[in-house]
Formats: sequence, C-alpha cells, structure tokens
Amino acid sequence: MTDETKKKINAKYERELLHGERFWPDSLFKDAIVALGIFIFLVLLATFVGVHDSPKADPSDTSYVPRPEWYFLFLFKFLALYGQIPVFGKIEWVATVLIPGIAIGLLTLLPFIDKSPQRYYAKRAMPIAIMTIMVLGMVLLTMTADVPTVAADGSGLLGNLQTVAGLIVPSLAYIAFVGMAYTLKENAVRAIAWTTALAAALMIGFTAATLALYQPAAVAVIEIPTTLADQIVAGQDLYSVHCVECHGDDGKVEEITGVEGLEGKKISIISSKDVLYTVNDASMAEIIAYGRPDSGMNPFGKAYNPEGLTRSEIDYVVTFMRYTWDDRFEAPYIAPLYPPLAEGEVPSYSVHIEPIVKRYCISCHRPGKDNNNYLMTSYEELLTTGDNASHNLISNDPTSYLLQVIQQIPITDPASGEELIGVMPPNKALKPEIVEVFVRWVQAGMPK
Amino acid sequence: MRSTLWQKLFSWLDERLGLNDAYKNLLDRPEPKGNWWNTLGSASLFLFILQAVTGIFLTVYYTPSPDHAYDSIQYIMTEVQFGWLVRGIHHWSASLMVIVVFIHMLRVFFTASYKYPRELTWLIGIGLLLLTVGMGFTGYLLPWHQMAYWATTVGTQIAGSVPFAGEFILKSLRGGPDLSALTLQRFFAAHIWILPALLVALIGVHLYLIIRHGESHFPDKED
Repeated sequence: MTDETKKKINAKYERELLHGERFWPDSLFKDAIVALGIFIFLVLLATFVGVHDSPKADPSDTSYVPRPEWYFLFLFKFLALYGQIPVFGKIEWVATVLIPGIAIGLLTLLPFIDKSPQRYYAKRAMPIAIMTIMVLGMVLLTMTADVPTVAADGSGLLGNLQTVAGLIVPSLAYIAFVGMAYTLKENAVRAIAWTTALAAALMIGFTAATLALYQPAAVAVIEIPTTLADQIVAGQDLYSVHCVECHGDDGKVEEITGVEGLEGKKISIISSKDVLYTVNDASMAEIIAYGRPDSGMNPFGKAYNPEGLTRSEIDYVVTFMRYTWDDRFEAPYIAPLYPPLAEGEVPSYSVHIEPIVKRYCISCHRPGKDNNNYLMTSYEELLTTGDNASHNLISNDPTSYLLQVIQQIPITDPASGEELIGVMPPNKALKPEIVEVFVRWVQAGMPK
Repeated sequence: MRSTLWQKLFSWLDERLGLNDAYKNLLDRPEPKGNWWNTLGSASLFLFILQAVTGIFLTVYYTPSPDHAYDSIQYIMTEVQFGWLVRGIHHWSASLMVIVVFIHMLRVFFTASYKYPRELTWLIGIGLLLLTVGMGFTGYLLPWHQMAYWATTVGTQIAGSVPFAGEFILKSLRGGPDLSALTLQRFFAAHIWILPALLVALIGVHLYLIIRHGESHFPDKED
C-alpha cells in the first residue's frame, strides 16, 4: 500500500469523524443498553431454563454416546461427512487438522491476503461470498448434527443429502468463485453474487430435505435427582432392586438365604454402627463398585457387572444408607412412598402399586431371577406373567395367590400338599397398611 | 463548604492521576456515526467481565477433583444462596460469549474494518476468538458429568490425530494416556489462570489499538 492511499484513507476517516458522534456519551450509552439487555436475558435463562443436568462422569460406561459442546458440533459433523469420501476419507488428520488449520490460518492472515484498500461491499464480492458460504455451512452442519449419516435401516440417503449440502455444494461454489474471479475480472461481482445465492439456496434446500426425512428416535429423558431427599429416594429404589435380595430391606441380614450361589454366606450387618462408623462414603462406594469377593459381595460397578450401577447411582445408594441407618445423619423430609389412602379410596397401579412393587418385589421379580417366571416390572407383566398367572391376580377375589402370600398364607398344592409358593416377601412381612392397599386394589379389579 | 472540599479532592487527585487528560483521551473522543452492530465488541467485553465475576464466585465452592467436582456443583446448585443463579449465568453466558465474539468477527469482516490501519487489531481479535473457544472447551469438562467427560475424551482424541506430534499433544492435554484427575486439574488451571491471563493481556492491547485508531466507519461507495 502506497503512502498516497494511506493518506487518502486517513483523510476520509477524518471527514467521517466530523459528522460522527462522541464516544462518551453517545456510543457508551448504546453499549450500556446492550449490556443491560444481555444481563437480563442471562438472568431469565438461568431462572427459567436452568442448567441441563447429566449424571456424574463414569469412565467405565463406554456405551455413552459422546457429544461435544454445541459450538463444536459443526466440526464433528464435518468430520463424519468427510469420513464418507472414499480413500481420502480414511486419512483422518486431513479433516481434523489440515482443513481447520488452513481455515484458521487464512482467517488470521486475512489483512495480509486481502490487501486491496477497498472496503465497499460491491468491490469485495469474493471474500464476502466465501465467508457467507462458510458461515451458512457451519450453521447448517450444526443443525443436522444429530442426523446420522447411515440410517438405522442401512440406507445412506440421509448421509448423501448431508454430504451434498455440507461438502459438495460449498466446494463447487468455491471453485466457481475462483474461476469467475480469474476469467471475468472486474465484471465478476454479479456472477459471484448469483452463484452465492444459488449455492446458499441449494444448501438450505438439501438440509431442509435431510431434516424433513429424518425421524429422530425418541430419547429417554433421564431425571437427575438433585436435592438430598431425591437422592435418598433414588438410592432406596436402587437398593430395593439390587441389594435387598441379600441384605434385606433393613440391611440387617447376617446370613444369606434363598440366593443361588451365596446360600448360607455370613455377611456383615450393613446397617450396623460397626459398618457405618468404620467405612467412609468413598470406601463404601468402592466396595459396591468393586465388590468383596471373599465375603460374598458381588461387584456392582458397570465395568464389572453388565446390569450394574453407574457412579452416580452408587453414590445415591451410599447416601440412602447413610441417611437411613447412620444415627449421625439427620434425614430431610422425604415424601411417602405412595399417597396415603383415604376412606373408600380406590388405589391405582401407577400411583400406589407401582412404587410399592418397585421397592418390595422387583428385586427378585425381574428377568434372570428365581421367581417362578413371575415378573413385576410393568402393569402388563404383573397381570399376565408367571407359572401361576391365572391364579395370581383375580379381580375381586380374596383367594388371589398374591393376596394370600403377602398375608403370610403359603399356597399349597391341593393334590400333594406340597408348598407351591412360599410367603412373600420371603424374609419380612409387608406392613399391614401396604397389604391393605393390595387388597383394596384387587377388590376394585386392579385398575391401572 | 462541601463543594470546595470535593473540588479540592478532585484537583489533588487530578494533579497526580491526570483525570482530566484521561477523560479527554479515553472518553471524550470523536467517533464516526455508529450503529447497533458496533456494540458487539463492548458486549463481548461485558460478557468477559461477567464470566470473570461469576467464575470467581464459583471457585469459592468448586473443587477440581474427580471425587468432588460433581458434588461441589450439586452443592452450588442446591445449597448455596443464589448459587443456581451464578452458575446459570456462567453457563449461559459462556455460550452467548462464543456467539457474540463470533458475530463481532463477522461484523468486522463484512465491513472490511480489518484493513489499514487496523490489521493488528484483527490479528489480536482472532487470538481472542480462539481463546474464547478454548475457555469454552476447558470449562466444559469442569462439572465432571457424563456429557463433559465424554465430550472431552473425544475432543482431546481429535487433537491427538495431528500427524507425528499427535501423541504428545494428547498426553499433554490429558496429563497421561487417559482422562484422569490430572486432566481435570490442568483444565481447571487453564480455565482459571492461563487462558484468562492471556485473554486479559490481549484485551488490553485490543482496546489500546481501538483507542489509538478509533472505531472504523461504515464503508460507503467512496471506500
């Protein structure tokens, strides 16, 4: 750049200043309004949207589908699409290092690449066109980040659409820009503008088609217990499923009975002061995760037990044990298992029976356990599964097997007098008010 | 009299600090006619200060260790007075800052404000953009939840795909072959010391250059 041009630029700037504004108060006033707006917006987001919860990090859970922060999603998608290109697609570092590196390098050195002093839009068609396509591509790739390149049924249609929108159209547009700049020289502005518009329309069109064709799979929403009371309840539910079989619902079992492979094993009373006062939370979590092979404790960490617990879940179990059995901890208010029944109220499966079954029955009555094939994990299973399905729950019949066994009456075979089903739960009878809920529920015909 | 006391105090300070000069040089400057797009730079600065203030409050309770990081944030969210607000603002403001800084870069690009005499301002601006993204990347791991853990696993893996130097980069980012307590510790150090120190230094130069050359005017047909 010659000194002549520099002088011209500076003179133009001086002229602009003459009919401009003052930094204080004009510009700062606008800045303050924007800052205030941003602050209010953030407070509203923090108050009404909050921060999305996720369970504690669990290095052993390799089934977790990783997902970067949203502003890296476009790079992720770019990588996935690049991987589809034959031969070249296998050289990963071209997409992870080389292409982003070149892009950032060009952006950084921009003032030294684009050295013309011209600033008016119409005189800068080329850089504006390149940037427009680049930014549009980034936005569109972010939008399609969740769309897989290979659909569940193996069809590559979605992947091809995305590749056209995210890689092929932008690349062709860039080649066209360069070609036009060289062949048409000064007259290229109009052609470049039209090419940009066309490429943008195609990219948006193909992305819209991708999104229209894509049916997102339903995502299970994981509720994260955040308050202490919620964590204790979550821990109790997990304890009921995984631990009750051996340790009993009050943790007082000294000798395991009725568990295959561990029959007659002597174990520590986990609700005793001996255990709770000498084992701290971290060690307790480790015992649950890694197990204690010599004393019969199976490992329950996800890495060692496919049906096992995540780090967060183990922490909830420990929290539950502490606040329930350790007399040094005072439990917060915890909502009752099910809302107490009023006089004449009819209990339902979802409100009353499900939480009770979850806490007292599911530990054994789930797949893979010795339970006469009676599964109790859903309403349908409760009514239809098991070797004695036709007798278990009969509408308004007090001789339903389930009602008898929970009232401490074992079922015997009338022909041989042999015991068919023992009392349930095997070790400790349910409280009378819980039995009452079951009785009323059967009386009313087991409403859902 | 009251006013003379204040006047005396002011003139005493002015003699030593040069308040009047500062006012003339920093605040009472002429500027070209601006519009609302020109506020993006100051909005970025405001977000940075907001992040610094909320971030400092968060460090009061946050513990950078795999055993306690998750629980300490749960504690901030549920037990600490207004902890949910401070963390909420820090969380959302991080995303907003990336957006605002990026749009600020686009504004400068489309008005060609990076040209003479503001080339160096642009260069430092790109540094600030990259540092902002770096802050986002390092800050994302700190809650030590599943999303953070696996996002960082993959993110560092990508950094590790650099030919030849890849393994070295991967190990220096993670502090070993796998994500561990060391990774959390060094991401924390980068997030609260290294990157902010660089950011503050570059912001200082960026602001000096803006005052030195003035805000650029919107280009018209003459430019």
